[in-house]
Amino acid sequence: MLLLICKRALMAIPVLLMVATITFLLVRIVPGGPFDAEKNLPPEIVANIKAKYHLDRPVHEQYFLYLERLVRGDLGVSYKYVNRTVNDILADALPVSVQLGALALLISVLAGIPLGSVAAVKRGTSFDFAAIALSTAGISVPSFLVGALLIYVFGIYWKLLPVALWESGKHMILPAVTLSFWPTAYVARLTRASMLEVLEKDWVRTARSKGLSSVRTVVKHVLRNSLVPVITVLGPLTAMLITGSFTVEYIYAIPGMGRFFITAVINRDYDLIMATSLVFALILIVMNTLVDIAYTYLDPRIKVKS
Amino acid sequence: MKFFAALLAVFVLSACSFARTGPEPGTLRMNLGAEPPSLDWVVTTDSTSFDVVSNIMVGLTRYTDDLKCRPAGASSWEILDSGKRYVFHLRPDVKWSDGQPVRAQDYVYAWTRLLDPSTAAQYAYFFYPIENAFEFNTGKIKDGEKLGIRALDDWTLEVTLKRPAAYFIYLTAFCVSLPQRKDVVECWGDRWTEPEHIVTNGAFLLKSWQHEYKIELVANPNYFEGEPAVKKIKMFMVAEQATAFALYENDELDYVDNRSFSTADVERCRHTAEYHNTPLLRNNYIGFNVTKKPFDDVRVRKAVSMAIDRRIFAKILRRGERPAYSWIPPGLDGYAKESGAAFDPEQARRLLAEAGYPHGKGFPAVGLLYPNREDTRLVVEAIQDELKRNLGIHIDLVNEEWKVYLETLHRDPPAMYRNSWGADYPDPETFMNLFTSHNGNNSTRWANSQYDALIEAAEAEQNSAARAKLYERADTMLCREQAPIACTYLSTQNLMVKPWVHGMAFNALDMQFFEDCYIGDRPPAQWYQKRYRYQKQPPAPGQQAPVPLTTGVRG
Repeated sequence: MLLLICKRALMAIPVLLMVATITFLLVRIVPGGPFDAEKNLPPEIVANIKAKYHLDRPVHEQYFLYLERLVRGDLGVSYKYVNRTVNDILADALPVSVQLGALALLISVLAGIPLGSVAAVKRGTSFDFAAIALSTAGISVPSFLVGALLIYVFGIYWKLLPVALWESGKHMILPAVTLSFWPTAYVARLTRASMLEVLEKDWVRTARSKGLSSVRTVVKHVLRNSLVPVITVLGPLTAMLITGSFTVEYIYAIPGMGRFFITAVINRDYDLIMATSLVFALILIVMNTLVDIAYTYLDPRIKVKS
Repeated sequence: MKFFAALLAVFVLSACSFARTGPEPGTLRMNLGAEPPSLDWVVTTDSTSFDVVSNIMVGLTRYTDDLKCRPAGASSWEILDSGKRYVFHLRPDVKWSDGQPVRAQDYVYAWTRLLDPSTAAQYAYFFYPIENAFEFNTGKIKDGEKLGIRALDDWTLEVTLKRPAAYFIYLTAFCVSLPQRKDVVECWGDRWTEPEHIVTNGAFLLKSWQHEYKIELVANPNYFEGEPAVKKIKMFMVAEQATAFALYENDELDYVDNRSFSTADVERCRHTAEYHNTPLLRNNYIGFNVTKKPFDDVRVRKAVSMAIDRRIFAKILRRGERPAYSWIPPGLDGYAKESGAAFDPEQARRLLAEAGYPHGKGFPAVGLLYPNREDTRLVVEAIQDELKRNLGIHIDLVNEEWKVYLETLHRDPPAMYRNSWGADYPDPETFMNLFTSHNGNNSTRWANSQYDALIEAAEAEQNSAARAKLYERADTMLCREQAPIACTYLSTQNLMVKPWVHGMAFNALDMQFFEDCYIGDRPPAQWYQKRYRYQKQPPAPGQQAPVPLTTGVRG
């Protein structure tokens, strides 16, 4: 296990380097620069700014300078938020997104797996049709619409929950539900499909014929065997959820990291764009490694090759 | 699994008891709309940062309600040597939040820092009129002592200009000219603006700053003009307009402005007592690149300008916009209605025919560049329609992402583009300098030595009436005679203010000051005396009332 983790850690280095290189080149190819503003600056001022941020140097020099800083754990400076480093920005924003994403993930798993399981067991019944309709809606309705609807119903009409902001536990409910809507539906659909397949297996019939109760068969045996595909998607899903969602953070005014995936590009905030890409890549690698480890616990037949 | 389900249920049930409405006593809650890029006023350039800075800091002067400079950090000043030398006498009772007095050396330090090339301050060029400022900022002079900024003693600041600049006094009320403490900035470096380090001298103190979320200010008990009635200000950073407006409707924000106010909401609330519309010194225009065909012909430019009925913009944008005919907006010296281009489709068709395009025949393919924002799309579509109807010409609409659009404008301006300009200070210079031949923001590429000479003369002129005449003449040249631009409309600020908020003042520079504000029904003692201490006297009978440049809400 330790060997696997070490191996993955070593493999992550070239992957991250590739992500850094491609992102570095792409952000410099895109037209428009970080200091293009409504009020065009005199060339003397632009020269001062470029010198300060080393943007006056050739691109390859800027690249090696960036890598040198990256090795030291310095993600650079923000050109938009002039007194803040990218490390500061991520240190403020990432914990918020992790908190919200973890809650959304919890809701997705707690709601999605039971919903999919019951729909599979009660296949063809009205519950199954309702579950399918709900999960189809969850996948196809965009989160800004879900968010707006929840804000209107629970925040404005019934005044049960805060409309937005990030002040206390109750402020987390609507954003977490909104964020979990799509993954819940996805998990439910995947669980249902996977469980239907497992329910057709001979050993399920054998278990039932031997007198094992239906609930015990499903919960103890079928569910466990159905979870492998669900666990597979939970890796990238977790990475996606804990790095924040632009839409959800935007409509609920949450100070998370999701917004930077978009605003950093709009502002051409080079180092911040690089950092968001690298953090996402890193979390994805970590989550995929955890998923691989989780396989071995769910299905002993799967052995991780160290 | 059961544990988590139970935990979630408890969490949801305990939370469903939320119903907060009404004011928070002594607290003003507002929306900044975005994170201020910086609270270091030497490097800030944006209105979000200015909204915070202008409430925690005070400089040499401040604006009156009619946007003239009044004493603040300086109790008085003298303008000497035909406008080349300014001497400011500082008030000794203006204190930093740590109790130290604000000295002339603090201004010298801040202004030198602004001009220091290593600071890379974008707005350093505002101080280029100061002696040796350009040379110091561009590294030709290394010694900051050679700048025309000197502390004659602790309470006297002397500024020497390269040449007279009548608008210079307005720069002393602008955010980039605020003083700074050398010991604090140098001790904490980039982190000096964090609440635990920053020292300020304004009506409010920075209590906390949760980045990307909220700033909290508290009243400064030692403020030299008296502690404000509002004890706390919560400045949220809600980017989404619909969310911000929902918070306002739920009584979780006390006022909202354009940042939080969609056109649909303006329409819905226009007739309520909470709605206010105030003018802004922001002019919108269509620019013509005079080096590109067909706009190298002045007749074509004038024809296009005269073919646009400016009244349509208020109808399509629906935010109370006012038609703009001249480049200098009403309320500023030099404004004259007759300087502007009149709507005259008959004359426009004649001019177009004279230029070789009768009824628009043979008019070359022209693209109108605009940034990808909903309001600008509506504006350019209306212009396209006006030109088709009144001149018979078709123009293509070209849309670009904001930064790409800016790069295109600065690198290779198209034949026709849509743009706007907001005043940094309430002087016509801020508008008129834009179209001088040497200005980097002049994307029309129009260069006229006569216009340049008029602007230069106006900058140096100390007599305000004579100065206004010079600007009026230049504006006529710009909008009626040469028409490198066609002004379209003046933007406005739309506000919703809760009935329990009193004494808010919104000026046309889009600056918002909260020190005269109070929450509740009864004003605090001596509030009226304080609020109107610098109010201009009402016009004498028979005298025309000036254009309002500051709107007071309930008080």
